[in-house]
Amino acid sequence: MRHWADASPDDDDAEEGLVRAYTITHGRTASARDDLTLITVIATVAPAERAGDRSLQPEHRTILRQCRTPVALAEVAAGLNLPVAVTKILVGDLITLDRVTARPPLAVAVGQEPDMTLLQAVKDALLRL
Amino acid sequence: MPYSDSDSDGQQTGPGAQASVARTPVAPAAVKILIAGGFGVGKTTMVGSVSEIPPLHTEEQLTVAGLGVDDLDGVEQKTTTTVALDFGRITVSGRLVLYLFGTPGQERFWFMWNDLVHGALGAVVLADTRRLESSFASIDFFESRGVPFVVGVNCFHGVRDRTVAEIRDALDLDPRVPVVMGDLRERGDSRDLLLALVNRLMAGRPPAAIGG
Repeated sequence: MRHWADASPDDDDAEEGLVRAYTITHGRTASARDDLTLITVIATVAPAERAGDRSLQPEHRTILRQCRTPVALAEVAAGLNLPVAVTKILVGDLITLDRVTARPPLAVAVGQEPDMTLLQAVKDALLRL
Repeated sequence: MPYSDSDSDGQQTGPGAQASVARTPVAPAAVKILIAGGFGVGKTTMVGSVSEIPPLHTEEQLTVAGLGVDDLDGVEQKTTTTVALDFGRITVSGRLVLYLFGTPGQERFWFMWNDLVHGALGAVVLADTRRLESSFASIDFFESRGVPFVVGVNCFHGVRDRTVAEIRDALDLDPRVPVVMGDLRERGDSRDLLLALVNRLMAGRPPAAIGG
Protein backbone atom coordinates (compact mmCIF):
# COMPACT_ATOMS: atom_id res chain seq x y z
CA MET A 1 0.00 0.00 0.00
CA ARG A 2 1.15 3.48 -0.85
CA HIS A 3 1.75 6.09 1.82
CA TRP A 4 -0.71 8.96 1.70
CA ALA A 5 2.10 11.50 1.46
CA ASP A 6 3.24 9.94 -1.81
CA ALA A 7 0.15 11.13 -3.62
CA SER A 8 0.82 14.13 -5.79
CA PRO A 9 -1.81 16.87 -5.94
CA ASP A 10 -2.65 16.15 -9.58
CA ASP A 11 -2.87 12.42 -9.08
CA ASP A 12 -6.34 11.32 -10.13
CA ASP A 13 -6.36 8.56 -7.58
CA ALA A 14 -5.28 10.79 -4.72
CA GLU A 15 -8.78 12.08 -4.12
CA GLU A 16 -10.15 8.66 -3.54
CA GLY A 17 -9.82 7.33 -0.04
CA LEU A 18 -8.02 10.33 1.42
CA VAL A 19 -11.17 11.68 3.00
CA ARG A 20 -13.18 9.29 5.08
CA ALA A 21 -16.85 9.11 4.23
CA TYR A 22 -17.84 10.15 7.75
CA THR A 23 -15.79 13.33 7.38
CA ILE A 24 -17.79 14.30 4.32
CA THR A 25 -21.00 13.78 6.26
CA HIS A 26 -19.72 15.50 9.44
CA GLY A 27 -19.88 12.24 11.33
CA ARG A 28 -23.42 11.33 10.34
CA THR A 29 -23.87 7.70 9.44
CA ALA A 30 -27.57 7.63 8.64
CA SER A 31 -29.77 9.91 6.62
CA ALA A 32 -32.45 11.80 8.49
CA ARG A 33 -34.69 10.90 5.57
CA ASP A 34 -35.79 7.33 5.08
CA ASP A 35 -37.77 8.02 1.91
CA LEU A 36 -34.79 8.11 -0.45
CA THR A 37 -34.32 4.97 -2.51
CA LEU A 38 -31.88 3.80 -5.17
CA ILE A 39 -34.25 4.95 -7.91
CA THR A 40 -35.53 8.15 -6.36
CA VAL A 41 -34.90 10.66 -9.16
CA ILE A 42 -32.94 13.71 -8.02
CA ALA A 43 -33.20 17.01 -9.93
CA THR A 44 -31.34 20.24 -9.26
CA VAL A 45 -33.59 23.25 -8.70
CA ALA A 46 -32.66 26.12 -11.01
CA PRO A 47 -30.49 28.10 -10.79
CA ALA A 48 -27.93 25.40 -10.17
CA GLU A 49 -25.37 27.85 -8.81
CA ARG A 50 -26.14 30.49 -6.23
CA ALA A 51 -24.40 32.90 -3.89
CA GLY A 52 -23.34 31.19 -0.69
CA ASP A 53 -22.54 27.89 -2.39
CA ARG A 54 -19.03 28.07 -0.99
CA SER A 55 -20.44 26.86 2.32
CA LEU A 56 -21.43 23.61 0.63
CA GLN A 57 -19.17 20.56 0.56
CA PRO A 58 -17.52 19.86 -2.79
CA GLU A 59 -19.64 16.70 -2.96
CA HIS A 60 -22.81 18.77 -2.63
CA ARG A 61 -21.72 20.91 -5.55
CA THR A 62 -20.92 17.82 -7.59
CA ILE A 63 -24.46 16.59 -6.97
CA LEU A 64 -25.93 19.94 -8.02
CA ARG A 65 -23.96 19.78 -11.28
CA GLN A 66 -24.81 16.15 -11.97
CA CYS A 67 -28.53 16.49 -11.32
CA ARG A 68 -29.11 19.35 -13.74
CA THR A 69 -30.26 16.42 -15.81
CA PRO A 70 -32.36 14.41 -13.33
CA VAL A 71 -30.91 11.01 -12.47
CA ALA A 72 -31.63 8.26 -9.98
CA LEU A 73 -29.87 8.37 -6.62
CA ALA A 74 -27.88 5.26 -7.56
CA GLU A 75 -26.37 7.22 -10.46
CA VAL A 76 -25.50 10.06 -8.08
CA ALA A 77 -23.72 7.56 -5.80
CA ALA A 78 -21.85 6.08 -8.76
CA GLY A 79 -20.84 9.57 -9.91
CA LEU A 80 -19.55 10.49 -6.45
CA ASN A 81 -17.90 7.08 -5.97
CA LEU A 82 -19.39 6.99 -2.49
CA PRO A 83 -21.56 4.35 -0.80
CA VAL A 84 -25.29 4.76 -1.25
CA ALA A 85 -25.84 5.51 2.46
CA VAL A 86 -23.41 8.45 2.34
CA THR A 87 -24.98 9.74 -0.86
CA LYS A 88 -28.40 9.72 0.77
CA ILE A 89 -27.11 11.93 3.58
CA LEU A 90 -25.67 14.45 1.13
CA VAL A 91 -28.77 14.47 -1.08
CA GLY A 92 -30.88 14.86 2.07
CA ASP A 93 -28.92 18.01 2.94
CA LEU A 94 -29.69 19.49 -0.49
CA ILE A 95 -33.38 18.62 -0.20
CA THR A 96 -33.49 20.44 3.16
CA LEU A 97 -31.89 23.45 1.47
CA ASP A 98 -34.44 23.26 -1.38
CA ARG A 99 -31.62 22.87 -3.86
CA VAL A 100 -32.80 19.57 -5.31
CA THR A 101 -36.13 17.84 -5.69
CA ALA A 102 -36.61 14.12 -5.14
CA ARG A 103 -39.17 12.16 -7.12
CA PRO A 104 -40.09 8.89 -5.43
CA PRO A 105 -40.27 5.76 -7.59
CA LEU A 106 -43.61 4.60 -8.91
CA ALA A 107 -45.21 2.39 -6.30
CA VAL A 108 -44.95 -1.24 -7.28
CA ALA A 109 -46.23 -3.67 -4.69
CA VAL A 110 -46.20 -7.44 -4.74
CA GLY A 111 -49.62 -8.85 -5.57
CA GLN A 112 -50.94 -5.52 -6.78
CA GLU A 113 -52.84 -5.24 -10.06
CA PRO A 114 -50.28 -4.49 -12.75
CA ASP A 115 -50.33 -1.00 -14.25
CA MET A 116 -50.94 -1.89 -17.90
CA THR A 117 -50.19 1.60 -19.19
CA LEU A 118 -46.79 1.54 -17.53
CA LEU A 119 -45.98 -1.99 -18.68
CA GLN A 120 -47.02 -1.21 -22.25
CA ALA A 121 -44.74 1.85 -22.24
CA VAL A 122 -41.83 -0.30 -20.98
CA LYS A 123 -42.60 -2.94 -23.62
CA ASP A 124 -42.68 -0.34 -26.40
CA ALA A 125 -39.33 1.02 -25.21
CA LEU A 126 -37.79 -2.47 -25.24
CA LEU A 127 -39.11 -3.11 -28.74
CA ARG A 128 -37.38 0.08 -29.87
CA LEU A 129 -33.97 -1.14 -28.63
CA MET B 1 -51.11 8.49 -16.26
CA PRO B 2 -49.51 8.35 -19.69
CA TYR B 3 -45.86 7.33 -19.92
CA SER B 4 -45.42 7.77 -23.63
CA ASP B 5 -44.14 10.86 -25.33
CA SER B 6 -47.38 11.66 -27.10
CA ASP B 7 -47.32 15.12 -25.58
CA SER B 8 -45.07 17.70 -27.16
CA ASP B 9 -43.36 19.30 -24.21
CA GLY B 10 -39.90 18.67 -25.60
CA GLN B 11 -38.93 16.12 -22.95
CA GLN B 12 -37.93 13.46 -25.42
CA THR B 13 -34.22 12.95 -25.40
CA GLY B 14 -33.36 11.08 -22.27
CA PRO B 15 -34.23 11.09 -18.63
CA GLY B 16 -35.18 14.61 -17.75
CA ALA B 17 -33.73 16.21 -20.83
CA GLN B 18 -33.75 19.92 -20.16
CA ALA B 19 -35.75 22.40 -22.14
CA SER B 20 -33.44 25.18 -21.04
CA VAL B 21 -30.66 25.73 -18.55
CA ALA B 22 -32.64 28.22 -16.51
CA ARG B 23 -35.65 26.00 -15.94
CA THR B 24 -35.84 23.39 -13.25
CA PRO B 25 -35.97 20.12 -15.19
CA VAL B 26 -39.00 17.91 -14.87
CA ALA B 27 -37.87 14.69 -13.27
CA PRO B 28 -39.10 11.43 -14.77
CA ALA B 29 -40.34 8.65 -12.51
CA ALA B 30 -38.26 5.49 -12.28
CA VAL B 31 -38.97 1.77 -12.10
CA LYS B 32 -36.51 -1.10 -11.82
CA ILE B 33 -35.93 -4.70 -12.75
CA LEU B 34 -33.43 -6.89 -10.87
CA ILE B 35 -30.94 -9.15 -12.62
CA ALA B 36 -30.01 -12.02 -10.31
CA GLY B 37 -28.21 -15.36 -10.51
CA GLY B 38 -25.03 -17.07 -9.46
CA PHE B 39 -21.43 -16.01 -9.86
CA GLY B 40 -20.16 -15.36 -13.36
CA VAL B 41 -23.48 -16.11 -15.01
CA GLY B 42 -23.61 -12.91 -17.03
CA LYS B 43 -25.53 -10.38 -14.93
CA THR B 44 -23.28 -7.46 -15.69
CA THR B 45 -23.00 -8.60 -19.31
CA MET B 46 -26.75 -8.43 -19.65
CA VAL B 47 -26.99 -5.00 -18.00
CA GLY B 48 -24.30 -3.75 -20.38
CA SER B 49 -25.90 -5.14 -23.50
CA VAL B 50 -29.26 -3.38 -23.08
CA SER B 51 -28.32 -0.25 -21.12
CA GLU B 52 -28.14 3.07 -22.96
CA ILE B 53 -25.20 4.07 -20.73
CA PRO B 54 -22.10 2.03 -19.88
CA PRO B 55 -22.91 0.06 -16.71
CA LEU B 56 -22.39 2.11 -13.56
CA HIS B 57 -21.15 0.79 -10.25
CA THR B 58 -21.98 1.57 -6.67
CA GLU B 59 -21.98 -0.21 -3.36
CA GLU B 60 -23.47 -0.31 0.08
CA GLN B 61 -22.20 -1.51 3.42
CA LEU B 62 -24.63 -3.78 5.21
CA THR B 63 -24.48 -4.99 8.77
CA VAL B 64 -24.97 -8.72 8.89
CA ALA B 65 -25.98 -9.91 12.34
CA GLY B 66 -25.04 -13.47 13.20
CA LEU B 67 -25.70 -14.75 9.69
CA GLY B 68 -23.46 -17.56 8.55
CA VAL B 69 -21.17 -16.98 11.49
CA ASP B 70 -20.33 -19.84 13.81
CA ASP B 71 -21.67 -18.86 17.17
CA LEU B 72 -19.18 -20.21 19.69
CA ASP B 73 -19.86 -18.16 22.78
CA GLY B 74 -23.52 -17.26 22.54
CA VAL B 75 -22.76 -13.64 21.77
CA GLU B 76 -24.41 -12.45 18.61
CA GLN B 77 -21.75 -11.39 16.19
CA LYS B 78 -22.12 -8.56 13.76
CA THR B 79 -20.06 -8.21 10.65
CA THR B 80 -20.15 -5.62 7.93
CA THR B 81 -20.29 -6.74 4.36
CA THR B 82 -20.04 -4.65 1.23
CA VAL B 83 -22.56 -5.44 -1.46
CA ALA B 84 -21.73 -4.19 -4.92
CA LEU B 85 -24.14 -3.22 -7.63
CA ASP B 86 -23.84 -2.75 -11.38
CA PHE B 87 -26.67 -0.99 -13.06
CA GLY B 88 -27.85 0.45 -16.33
CA ARG B 89 -30.64 2.59 -17.67
CA ILE B 90 -33.25 2.43 -20.43
CA THR B 91 -35.17 5.64 -21.04
CA VAL B 92 -38.79 4.76 -21.72
CA SER B 93 -39.94 8.34 -22.30
CA GLY B 94 -39.41 11.78 -20.85
CA ARG B 95 -41.66 10.68 -18.03
CA LEU B 96 -40.39 7.22 -17.26
CA VAL B 97 -36.98 5.59 -16.85
CA LEU B 98 -36.24 1.90 -16.34
CA TYR B 99 -33.20 0.92 -14.28
CA LEU B 100 -31.66 -2.54 -14.37
CA PHE B 101 -29.79 -3.64 -11.27
CA GLY B 102 -27.44 -6.59 -11.08
CA THR B 103 -25.16 -7.69 -8.27
CA PRO B 104 -21.81 -8.64 -9.76
CA GLY B 105 -19.98 -11.65 -8.39
CA GLN B 106 -21.20 -13.92 -5.68
CA GLU B 107 -23.00 -11.65 -3.30
CA ARG B 108 -24.30 -13.77 -0.49
CA PHE B 109 -26.13 -10.95 1.22
CA TRP B 110 -27.54 -8.91 -1.62
CA PHE B 111 -31.08 -9.78 -0.56
CA MET B 112 -30.51 -7.91 2.70
CA TRP B 113 -30.27 -4.72 0.71
CA ASN B 114 -33.97 -4.01 1.13
CA ASP B 115 -33.78 -0.87 -0.93
CA LEU B 116 -32.57 -2.98 -3.84
CA VAL B 117 -35.33 -5.57 -3.65
CA HIS B 118 -38.24 -3.38 -2.61
CA GLY B 119 -40.53 -2.07 -5.34
CA ALA B 120 -39.01 -3.94 -8.28
CA LEU B 121 -41.34 -4.62 -11.22
CA GLY B 122 -39.86 -8.09 -11.40
CA ALA B 123 -36.64 -9.99 -11.80
CA VAL B 124 -34.57 -11.92 -14.30
CA VAL B 125 -32.77 -14.95 -12.85
CA LEU B 126 -29.83 -15.95 -15.00
CA ALA B 127 -28.70 -19.55 -15.11
CA ASP B 128 -25.69 -21.39 -16.45
CA THR B 129 -26.47 -24.93 -17.64
CA ARG B 130 -23.16 -26.19 -16.22
CA ARG B 131 -24.11 -25.12 -12.70
CA LEU B 132 -27.82 -24.66 -12.45
CA GLU B 133 -27.63 -25.01 -8.67
CA SER B 134 -26.05 -21.57 -8.44
CA SER B 135 -29.44 -20.11 -9.39
CA PHE B 136 -31.46 -21.92 -6.74
CA ALA B 137 -30.98 -19.25 -4.09
CA SER B 138 -32.29 -16.47 -6.33
CA ILE B 139 -35.28 -18.52 -7.50
CA ASP B 140 -36.20 -19.47 -3.93
CA PHE B 141 -35.88 -15.87 -2.87
CA PHE B 142 -38.17 -14.41 -5.54
CA GLU B 143 -40.70 -17.23 -5.14
CA SER B 144 -40.87 -16.66 -1.39
CA ARG B 145 -41.30 -12.91 -1.83
CA GLY B 146 -43.88 -13.26 -4.60
CA VAL B 147 -41.71 -11.25 -7.01
CA PRO B 148 -42.49 -12.23 -10.63
CA PHE B 149 -39.45 -13.49 -12.50
CA VAL B 150 -38.27 -15.16 -15.67
CA VAL B 151 -35.28 -17.46 -16.11
CA GLY B 152 -32.66 -16.63 -18.71
CA VAL B 153 -30.19 -19.28 -19.78
CA ASN B 154 -26.95 -17.79 -21.00
CA CYS B 155 -25.75 -19.66 -24.08
CA PHE B 156 -22.41 -18.30 -25.24
CA HIS B 157 -21.75 -18.95 -28.90
CA GLY B 158 -25.17 -20.52 -29.27
CA VAL B 159 -24.17 -23.60 -27.26
CA ARG B 160 -27.38 -25.20 -26.01
CA ASP B 161 -26.49 -28.38 -24.20
CA ARG B 162 -29.82 -28.66 -22.38
CA THR B 163 -33.37 -28.24 -23.53
CA VAL B 164 -35.76 -25.78 -21.96
CA ALA B 165 -37.74 -28.72 -20.58
CA GLU B 166 -34.63 -30.17 -18.92
CA ILE B 167 -33.79 -26.83 -17.36
CA ARG B 168 -37.35 -26.26 -16.20
CA ASP B 169 -37.33 -29.69 -14.62
CA ALA B 170 -33.91 -29.28 -12.98
CA LEU B 171 -34.93 -25.93 -11.49
CA ASP B 172 -38.38 -27.23 -10.48
CA LEU B 173 -40.03 -24.16 -11.99
CA ASP B 174 -43.65 -23.13 -11.86
CA PRO B 175 -45.00 -23.77 -15.41
CA ARG B 176 -45.91 -20.08 -15.67
CA VAL B 177 -42.27 -18.98 -15.30
CA PRO B 178 -40.88 -18.38 -18.80
CA VAL B 179 -37.47 -19.85 -19.63
CA VAL B 180 -35.59 -18.04 -22.38
CA MET B 181 -32.31 -19.17 -23.97
CA GLY B 182 -29.98 -16.58 -25.39
CA ASP B 183 -26.55 -15.04 -25.70
CA LEU B 184 -26.64 -12.19 -23.21
CA ARG B 185 -23.86 -10.36 -25.01
CA GLU B 186 -26.39 -9.76 -27.76
CA ARG B 187 -28.68 -6.81 -27.15
CA GLY B 188 -31.54 -8.53 -28.96
CA ASP B 189 -31.32 -11.65 -26.78
CA SER B 190 -31.15 -9.65 -23.53
CA ARG B 191 -34.05 -7.54 -24.73
CA ASP B 192 -36.12 -10.66 -25.47
CA LEU B 193 -35.50 -11.80 -21.92
CA LEU B 194 -36.79 -8.49 -20.54
CA LEU B 195 -39.77 -8.66 -22.92
CA ALA B 196 -40.59 -12.13 -21.58
CA LEU B 197 -40.68 -10.64 -18.10
CA VAL B 198 -42.88 -7.71 -19.15
CA ASN B 199 -45.25 -10.08 -20.97
CA ARG B 200 -45.47 -12.20 -17.85
CA LEU B 201 -46.23 -9.11 -15.77
CA MET B 202 -48.93 -8.05 -18.25
CA ALA B 203 -50.49 -11.50 -18.11
CA GLY B 204 -50.87 -10.84 -14.41
CA ARG B 205 -51.53 -13.43 -11.79
CA PRO B 206 -54.19 -16.03 -12.21
CA PRO B 207 -57.22 -15.30 -10.03
CA ALA B 208 -56.83 -16.58 -6.50
CA ALA B 209 -58.53 -19.86 -5.62
CA ILE B 210 -62.14 -19.35 -6.59
CA GLY B 211 -64.57 -19.78 -3.76
CA GLY B 212 -61.68 -20.16 -1.31
